Amino acid sequence: MSSEDVRLGFNGNFESKKIDIAPGDPAPWDPSRKFRLLGTRIPRLDGRAKASGEARYSIDVRLPGLLYGRILRCPHPAATVEEVDLSAARKMPGVKATLVLLDRGGIARFAGQEVAALAADSPEHAEDALAAIRVRYKARPFVVDSEAARKAGAPLVFEGETQTKSSAGDMPGARKALPRTGNVQGPRAFEKGNVEEGFRRADAVVQGTYVTQVQTHTALETHGLVAQWEGDELTIWASTQGISGVRDDLARELGIPASKVRVHCQYMGGGFGAKFGARVEGIAAAKLAREASAPVKLFLDRKEEQLATGNRPASRQWIRAGATKDGKLTALHLVVHGNGGTNGNTGTSAPLKNIYACDNVKTEEFDVFTNAGPSTAMRAPGHPQGAFALEATMDELAAKIGMDPLEFRMKNDPSAVRREEFRIGAEKIGWKDRDSRRAGKDPSIRRGVGMGAAVWYNTGGTGYRASVAIHRDGSAEVDHGLQDLGTGSRTMVAIVAAEELGLPLDRVSVRIGDTALPTGPESGGSTTTPSSAPTIRAAAFRARARVAEAVSKSWKVPPEDVAAAADGSDGFTAKSDASKKISWKDACALLPEEGITAMAERAPNHEDAWKRFTAGAQFAEVEVDTETGQVRVQRVVAVHDCGLVVNALTTESQIQGGVLQGISYALYENRVLDRATGKMVNPNVEQYKILGSKDTPEIETIVLPVYDGVNNTHSVGIGEPSTVPTAAAVANAVSHAIGARISSLPITPEAVLEAVDRARGGRA
Amino acid sequence: MKAFALIPVQTLAEAARESARPNTAIKAGGVDLVDRMKEGLDHPERVVSIAGIKGFDHISAGPPAHIGALATLARIAADAGVRRIYPALAAAAEEAATPQIRNMATLGGNLCQRPRCWYYRLSDFDCRKKGGNDCFAHEGENRFHAIFDTDEICVCVHPSATGAALLAYGATLQTVTPTGKRSLPIDKFFTGPNPDPTRENLLGPGEIVAAVTIPAPGPGARSAYKKLKEKESFDWPLVEACVALRLEGGAIRDPRVVLGHVAQVPWRSAEAEKVLAGGAPSEALFARAAEAALAGAKPLAQNAYKVRLAKVSLVRALREATA
Amino acid sequence: MSDDPRSGFTRRDLVRGALVGAVAAKVAPAAEPKGPAALGPGVERLTLDINGQTHELFVEPRVVLVDALREGLGLTGTKVVCGRGACGACTVLVDGAIACSCLMLAHEARGKKITTIEGLAADGRLSPVQEAFVAADALQCGFCTSGMLMSCHALLERPGRPTRDEIREAVAGNLCRCGTYPHVFDAVERAAGLRAAHEQPAEPRMALVRTSPGDLLAPDDRVDEALALLPGSEGGLG
Repeated sequence: MSSEDVRLGFNGNFESKKIDIAPGDPAPWDPSRKFRLLGTRIPRLDGRAKASGEARYSIDVRLPGLLYGRILRCPHPAATVEEVDLSAARKMPGVKATLVLLDRGGIARFAGQEVAALAADSPEHAEDALAAIRVRYKARPFVVDSEAARKAGAPLVFEGETQTKSSAGDMPGARKALPRTGNVQGPRAFEKGNVEEGFRRADAVVQGTYVTQVQTHTALETHGLVAQWEGDELTIWASTQGISGVRDDLARELGIPASKVRVHCQYMGGGFGAKFGARVEGIAAAKLAREASAPVKLFLDRKEEQLATGNRPASRQWIRAGATKDGKLTALHLVVHGNGGTNGNTGTSAPLKNIYACDNVKTEEFDVFTNAGPSTAMRAPGHPQGAFALEATMDELAAKIGMDPLEFRMKNDPSAVRREEFRIGAEKIGWKDRDSRRAGKDPSIRRGVGMGAAVWYNTGGTGYRASVAIHRDGSAEVDHGLQDLGTGSRTMVAIVAAEELGLPLDRVSVRIGDTALPTGPESGGSTTTPSSAPTIRAAAFRARARVAEAVSKSWKVPPEDVAAAADGSDGFTAKSDASKKISWKDACALLPEEGITAMAERAPNHEDAWKRFTAGAQFAEVEVDTETGQVRVQRVVAVHDCGLVVNALTTESQIQGGVLQGISYALYENRVLDRATGKMVNPNVEQYKILGSKDTPEIETIVLPVYDGVNNTHSVGIGEPSTVPTAAAVANAVSHAIGARISSLPITPEAVLEAVDRARGGRA
Repeated sequence: MKAFALIPVQTLAEAARESARPNTAIKAGGVDLVDRMKEGLDHPERVVSIAGIKGFDHISAGPPAHIGALATLARIAADAGVRRIYPALAAAAEEAATPQIRNMATLGGNLCQRPRCWYYRLSDFDCRKKGGNDCFAHEGENRFHAIFDTDEICVCVHPSATGAALLAYGATLQTVTPTGKRSLPIDKFFTGPNPDPTRENLLGPGEIVAAVTIPAPGPGARSAYKKLKEKESFDWPLVEACVALRLEGGAIRDPRVVLGHVAQVPWRSAEAEKVLAGGAPSEALFARAAEAALAGAKPLAQNAYKVRLAKVSLVRALREATA
Repeated sequence: MSDDPRSGFTRRDLVRGALVGAVAAKVAPAAEPKGPAALGPGVERLTLDINGQTHELFVEPRVVLVDALREGLGLTGTKVVCGRGACGACTVLVDGAIACSCLMLAHEARGKKITTIEGLAADGRLSPVQEAFVAADALQCGFCTSGMLMSCHALLERPGRPTRDEIREAVAGNLCRCGTYPHVFDAVERAAGLRAAHEQPAEPRMALVRTSPGDLLAPDDRVDEALALLPGSEGGLG
């Protein structure tokens, strides 16, 4: 461990800080460092493969003798399985294997739960055979409405022990055991200071109840995988956010060593938090393949995807907030009842705890269980819903003390980065004259501008590994077992390696998406880049050091005398003798015939650096038709910090994506369950409405480079923070436009009309 | 989708004969039928494909217009004559579905498509439209359902945008039957759920829509189509309004007012027509017409907002038509 | 829902038959003339013209085009997302016009020119719009990209330089969950700009919409002619 001075900060303001550097790890880049590649706009390396249709996703895998797997699902929201009869299905043409997933006596807790599976030699035969499975159910009482589930005497989702599922995408601390009464579990409680005292000190207090809906991930590639056995070795092609998690789940479930399972994922069609682990369908595919002695492809269809693969839980948030008349928050109190169907972990308190400074904070989070498809981690779990309630409250409180909402936030935001983002965003959106833009030429149209703040976390995981091989021709190969969800992580790996090695991008080859490679991170929590980039840099740093070592031997100078060429080229020079120069290519020719391979392990985070929350701010401008209640988002300005950007182009893409998912969540998306039957009525992408091209506003993205020194590349993920404040900003913009508070999502025409009427004084 | 035999036919006569056999479905563009078959709502043993029949995809804007049942929505929307003479039909076709679907979907298919009620569209619900005993929407999730005739045995809404436009224009359907052919005024084509909720039109057994004729507009004719949707990209209307009328000496003559997505059929409003007839176009007149059109609405628990939206869409259509 | 199709004709069968018309008379016509040849329900030979090449495969009539492409021929560039015509992931060109291959029966694609994403690049060189997608990062996970590109390709086959609103409309049937739309708009503008810069002045291109041989005749005559072939007429048309 060595101690080094590093300069940390942003926007030209840097201060020196002494931090401990792990052996063999490079120190975080200095702000004066000029990059050749890092932070520029680089088209993704696999763009060609994707644009040509050549990219082979896991769902595209074809193997000789491939069988097609299908799953039979329980049609009832709650039922006991009395009998599963597979005999007729087994006799259907082409059927090679069958499997019971929920045996006699087993309880199905939502409509869509897996009951049986089979594999057949064609998709058509599999479909026909599925219809021949006979299951006898005994229906049980059920409840799908969150409010009804909270009432005494409501049918119990779990009669005995609560059975929920955790995921690698969950927020930390979510797995703590909690008490349960009826269908309500919790609270997960947090308290700081004394809220009662805080409210006493307040000059103004507001309170409100905010309701959010269930949003489904709707990744375009459905869940599933292809499983192939060769002897006792299992090969998997999965659509997953974590190849290593799939491997570990399968090894555990099948009782085989993890070393016998190899998982591939070269391309995958989106995850957004729902694709961790082998899951029921993955384990079923592996078992069916074993029984049939043939490879099995088991991918869900869209309806199954909507019913059973996870969602962002609904919430009902009661929030009370107080401030002094000069605009200082004195107390924040949140009570949330989240509803994640048969899953818990539905809290929304993080934005409230982590964005604005307040001495007195109390949060109480309850999970309400219902007989509905289980929630799972979804892009910034808990945050968009929490930000929606918090930011509405901030606007309400600002109004009550007669202060501009931007100024009110500025006064309470402890993050210098975010205050700068607020300033930039406010200027870009034209915050100052937002009131004068409300009325336009068309009297039925009102315009509004709203804002919201984002918070996220800047710590990648440690212990991941990567190798960088250097060949004698000077080219490099990077091996790193992570997966690219579409975020551009493959390209990120290449950029970091090429930057550190001093090579052009086309001299670096990257291998990812295979558990046979040195283990990389699972992709959740926006931790991929901050986990991988420092690992890659460290491996490249070591590889380059090995090349420098070869040069030092050739020059017969001590290794520390060899330095990067002063002319900015890719080669080396001797510090003691400036006439000694060698190009990278010539230096690599000095390597032994087999070249060199350097391994690195991700060093621990520098806890002694500028550890902080990641900050973002978004502003939305909307048009509201006050006659029809239609909302059209015109423009969004998204200002974010993601540490030091690796690839400005793909970062921009990801921010745009976060914004668009946020608008879609704010205005359209809603899983609708029929209360009488407990079934989802819109398990599709037609009536489950998702934003499209004509609903896409102009989006301006601005990224603020921040040198926080937590890892050697200052990397921070952007996937999640980019969607945290969007719905909040849109809802605040609509409220600004019509002069009445929007307190539930999605913001439907009828909700807007109701608010318009409220603003006009209660006309029916 | 269950297995079936595909029977491609070359003439409508063949089609009518073939379709007169049991467990047979007729397929043109197939966008609705294949969707229903994939969901398991329909499982015919035989599918008679009329997609390859020559001579029924023509578009002649006339006037009077003559449009083959196999003309696609994309071609109707793009036809210069239709756009000029029957702008509401062009707009209805242009704003339907997605570019891909408009290239596939035919006029005949659009008129005969089944409703989008989510209970009907899912195999999980054995609703009255499928021959079951319940209308789940009555007391269930009915944001998008009917606001007229809601005491009926089924409260879905008719999905056809071109149907609303053609009703406003007073079109006539030319059909073939296993034994001949007939002209069917569009006023007599659509039917409500009573007594038979499993159908939305009065085509006889084996009867196939071959073409549509639209009368020549009279002097001073104007028309407009307005729909309101939640999102702009591929969404079904919440409500739509279509009006056709003549302006003569500053007064409205022969108004025909149709609201879509408000009832089990494209909803012609005699009440609104009565208010409009002879009146001079004005905001006050439009508002009175809208009030009259929706006076009889009886919304369900979740869709009172549609009453308001229907009024707005009608006023806006009138405004555009008379501008 | 238990409904045995062999149990005889019911009113529900009648409804199921309706697309371009309600169908299925309870009484089967007596002394029926020999009907047209039926395909299936088992596998039937099918030749398809895909990307200028003839492919042969054996599929049941119920197999839709996208499944024939992907599972039958290994042309996996075309994706399935909703399978119901609501997302555009399966978009291909059928005789030059974009269509959902998930709702088109494979056997009904016989005799038509099918172009898939694999057919856009020529001799391993990406087309200008494909290049523009890569350059503008108009793809993230890439699962909507094939369909999105087919729609953009069709748009750019039309004469003139599309406006941003026209681009929005052209891809309104292509659902993207990652949110690539802004970069898609940029890419198409870029591709159109490249084309405009390199193109000779306005040479008229094929319009998007198809015409059929019937259009060459006076339409009304054509219909009357077709209807005249039918037995038992009652009254004229029109």
